[in-house]
Amino acid sequence: MKTFVCIKYVPDTSEAEVKLNPDGLSVDDSRFSFDINDADNYAVEESVLIKEAQGGEVTVLSIGPKKSDVMIRMAMAKGCDKATRVEDDRIATHDPLMVARVLAGGIKGQEFDLVMTGCMANDDWHMATGVALAEELGVNHASMVNKLELQDGKVKVHRELEGGLLEVVELDLPAVLTIQTGINEPRYAPIRGIRQAQKKELNVVSLDDLGIDPAEVGTDASQVVLEKLYIPEVESAAEFIEGEPEEKAEKLASILHKGGLL
Amino acid sequence: MLMSSEIQTFTEKYDLLGCIQCGRCTGGCPVTVRANLNVRQFVNDAYDEDKLEELARLAEIWDCTACHTCAVRCPKGLKPLEVLIGLRTMIVESGKVEPTVRDALQSVLLEGNPWEKSRATRLDWMEDLDVKIADPDEPVENLFFVCCTIAYDPRVRAIARNMVELLNKAGVDYAFLPEDESCCGSEVFTLGEEGLFEMQVEDSTEFLNEYQAGRIVTLSPHCFTTYKTHYPDLKSPVIHYTQLLVELLNNGKLTWKGELPKKIVYHDPCYLGKQGNIYDEPRELLKSIPGVELLEFERRRERSLCCEGGGGKMWVESESKKERLSETRIKDARALGADVVAVACPFCVLTLEDSMKGLGLEEEMRVVEIMELLGELMEK
Repeated sequence: MKTFVCIKYVPDTSEAEVKLNPDGLSVDDSRFSFDINDADNYAVEESVLIKEAQGGEVTVLSIGPKKSDVMIRMAMAKGCDKATRVEDDRIATHDPLMVARVLAGGIKGQEFDLVMTGCMANDDWHMATGVALAEELGVNHASMVNKLELQDGKVKVHRELEGGLLEVVELDLPAVLTIQTGINEPRYAPIRGIRQAQKKELNVVSLDDLGIDPAEVGTDASQVVLEKLYIPEVESAAEFIEGEPEEKAEKLASILHKGGLL
Repeated sequence: MLMSSEIQTFTEKYDLLGCIQCGRCTGGCPVTVRANLNVRQFVNDAYDEDKLEELARLAEIWDCTACHTCAVRCPKGLKPLEVLIGLRTMIVESGKVEPTVRDALQSVLLEGNPWEKSRATRLDWMEDLDVKIADPDEPVENLFFVCCTIAYDPRVRAIARNMVELLNKAGVDYAFLPEDESCCGSEVFTLGEEGLFEMQVEDSTEFLNEYQAGRIVTLSPHCFTTYKTHYPDLKSPVIHYTQLLVELLNNGKLTWKGELPKKIVYHDPCYLGKQGNIYDEPRELLKSIPGVELLEFERRRERSLCCEGGGGKMWVESESKKERLSETRIKDARALGADVVAVACPFCVLTLEDSMKGLGLEEEMRVVEIMELLGELMEK
């Protein structure tokens, strides 16, 4: 089983105040901590579990800066075999289609059975890159996968739909799967494992190395224009419900009903 | 530092053959009242190298709070708790740890603290304060190391903030480390991430030795004991802040406003008392406050009851549903008639206060870190 797992280095915006840069098009990330995107971490674990069960090879693929190497080394400490990191500032990274094209460029021409990535990214929440990647590679895909079983030349996956509904589908390999959190429990990468992973192959490449024309993945090629980012105004519309518990409950139910929430 | 596990057997590393199986370790272990942990048995069973993996899979290895009662009581000078830590190392190196432990350890590696906070926000606790920041080119008598928990947890930040105000007022030669300051590794060591801890000792020794410090003053007993025990190559001696404050007190540099007519019982933190051998300084500070009546627990000093905050227990919940030791402690304080439970450790504040609230005693009792109390009594 030859697997590619695509991962992204993202900021944790939950602990520090989010501020915009003066250009209005980017976020000041100087006070954030960075780590592997949550859902991608589950994709890494799933790829390693498959390798442990069936053998094979797992290649990590990522677009990002040098500082993200620590995340890649951690994935290799967990069991991934080698990695490619694309570093090129000509990529229109705000557009999932452009990102997918670059990732596809890192895979095309090589044999693969599975490509896994997180179903969404904690920074831009597009939930589109994995699906676009399948299109670029011209293979089957399933999104929001929370369980998978490999069979001969096929994969049976459980997809998480809305309202607690699950869909079970079978796909011919090769295929792209976008992995939902909770499919497994990602392991810890001990420091000794990270040190040993230093010996594994990590290739840093540019668009030119991948044979991708920068004009096809840059801002001009993208049909998505990032106009502005802004922080929504904080609205204060709190209503305090007074009265005895029964009255409060009745008023609350009435408000929820009128608001179409019941 | 030696990569000891790679060149020694488990038996050699923990001197298991030195054990006479007297059982004083288990007899003194405070955790045995609520968990199925028998440390003597582990020391006995770990002789058999073939059994180590099976032992490492037992849930109770995570019940140990690293309070060191077993080490204090061992007549052969062994540290039975470290056998449990060695077994934890086997699990950690397999990667299959609790997610809370995984995230704490990873945060130490990536951000220099176990609380999953950004390194860039480490000095936020200093906001609006006039703090002297250390410079490697300028000698300083007292170089302060702020524990990760104190730096990031709003509940205990006052320990550092009050310290700054006190130092400024008393005219002390001091400086605090800049944001490159990293976790001392106390909890990394006890959680069993041996490789990460070795790296921390190496990196932090190099970092701290860049400064020309008369001494390093720690705010948490966990950092204090860790530096003293596991950092043999530090240039500067390490003290706990209560030692510095007693010096200032004796030199007449600390005075308190008004009186505090309260009954205060002092809880000896394991890392300050049993491990750091500091029992008197915190009591002297409390006794210096006019009006204070200092009470004593029956279980005090080297027999002090552990609050269960150490040994990585902030990230591992015990399977036991029996009464927490911190609840027992609060009940003991209540029976003594104490108004205030004073401690000198951020972890003890968090565990004891949780239990006090859980017991519904918020109206009647307070849990405070000594620096919090002194901050309220400082003449500003």
